[in-house]
Amino acid sequence: MEDKIYKTFVDATHNVFNLMLNISDISDQPGEKFNCDREIDIAIGVVGDLQGKVIYRFPVATSLGIVRLMSGMEFNEVDAFVTSAISEIANIISGNVLTALSENMKCDILPPVQCEPEDDKEYEIKTSCCICAAIGDICLEIRLNKAA
Amino acid sequence: MLWKDSYELGVPVIDAQHKELFRRVESFLQVLRSETGWTEKIPKINETLDFMKMYVVEHFRDEEEYQKSVGYPGYEAHKELHNGMVNYVLEVLKKYEQSSHDEQLMQQFGGRLLAWLINHVAAEDQRIAEYAIKKGMGGDGR
Repeated sequence: MEDKIYKTFVDATHNVFNLMLNISDISDQPGEKFNCDREIDIAIGVVGDLQGKVIYRFPVATSLGIVRLMSGMEFNEVDAFVTSAISEIANIISGNVLTALSENMKCDILPPVQCEPEDDKEYEIKTSCCICAAIGDICLEIRLNKAA
Repeated sequence: MLWKDSYELGVPVIDAQHKELFRRVESFLQVLRSETGWTEKIPKINETLDFMKMYVVEHFRDEEEYQKSVGYPGYEAHKELHNGMVNYVLEVLKKYEQSSHDEQLMQQFGGRLLAWLINHVAAEDQRIAEYAIKKGMGGDGR
């Protein structure tokens, strides 16, 4: 189950980066490889057959690069525009994951919120992946329980 | 330039509307992100918002009509995506007016609109075109 969910998130990120940013050369590594000092952390809550959240950790440089690619405009610092655009991308990736899993489970996602990456709570599914692309790396921390 | 030829669906009326939508959103973003003071930007921002409110609804309606005409099986789900965006636009506009033209709210709106529009046209709408072409009903004879 954990492997399947991990792979679904990697595939969804790959598809979204490919279609929205025209970036197709993407690989993944375990989340421990992710290294970043300044980042935007976006949490997407999950409810339904799976419950918990996924935290998307976007380094500042990656975030600015993504928004530059989408808009064709210069962005030098993180502000409400950049955070909102990055939050929507996290929302889109998560939506694609739930669609891909929908044959076997029914889940919904909650609106994106900015958050802190640390989380000491235990989860049945607790894994992370570092997505490596030309625009920079991002880290997805998957924290989910199966509904009772 | 926001618009990319790869976004074309091969349905002339929808493609023309998409191009117009991208052109307006691009113009909106240029004003939104310009160095000019916020007060000076407000008239142009308001003008674009008025257009968006009207044009988005019209475009979504035409696109939904096209989906019905080709028997697109994802019609209901796609309509829900449209309704979600229309509701979001109306909610933001209401808050924007109530807040006397809050800039942060508009910056948030701009960021989300940019990502939503690109994903919607580059991914969601392409599924309609793929279906129509598969059924031999592509708008340009594909």
